[in-house]
Amino acid sequence: MRRRAGESILIGEDIEIQIMHIGESRIKIGITAPKSVAVSMKEVKLVRQENLAAQLHSAAALRSMLERFIECPADGEK
Amino acid sequence: MVKTQTTPMQHCETRYFGPVEYAEESVMVFPDGIPAFEQEKRFLAMRQPISEPLVFLQSVANPNVCFATLSVPAACPGYQLSMTPEDLAALDLEKGRQPAIGRDVLCLTIVSLTENAPPTINLLAPIVINLHTLRGRQAIQTDSPYTHREILPLRSAACS
Repeated sequence: MRRRAGESILIGEDIEIQIMHIGESRIKIGITAPKSVAVSMKEVKLVRQENLAAQLHSAAALRSMLERFIECPADGEK
Repeated sequence: MVKTQTTPMQHCETRYFGPVEYAEESVMVFPDGIPAFEQEKRFLAMRQPISEPLVFLQSVANPNVCFATLSVPAACPGYQLSMTPEDLAALDLEKGRQPAIGRDVLCLTIVSLTENAPPTINLLAPIVINLHTLRGRQAIQTDSPYTHREILPLRSAACS
């Protein structure tokens, strides 16, 4: 499928993706969808998973975090 | 005689640090929470001498929600922000230029630890806080060479 600026794609009955503007390295897209459909950048999913993994779940998690940073400080020069 | 107006200190419960006393004006407000924790809108940044250089991001409302973070400039000297116009607007930051870390914004990165692996930091989506308003957001970087799992310690090339 090839689209020009201003043209749209329909997915099903009620989702519309419009190509708003085509720039040199990025395009601006307008999305119309029902409220029940979550629209987000794909990166949000990665960040969501990473946040869930990074949350300090237990005292053991906190302890190993502290141990790591005593052994392995972020600023390696010091 | 100079009168200083002081607001009463507040308390919150935390799972790892017990009851914590804080000033209301030190609370960082995340209007949209952060991904997977959208309901957590108020956080404290807590540092303790024993856990330097870690900064703990503790939810005020939920004792169980706590993240270990590092200051981005300390973990990755030379890191450049590349925030979207939407993120800049959400934090009331000037459009058309990237905020200066340390002057306009505080920039933290969440540390993740899995067993038998070095710690990683999420440089794809740093926690950015407007230093003047203390509004915060986990800002996904658009033109960023960094990933959500940069291995610590960083190879210097990753940050230059």
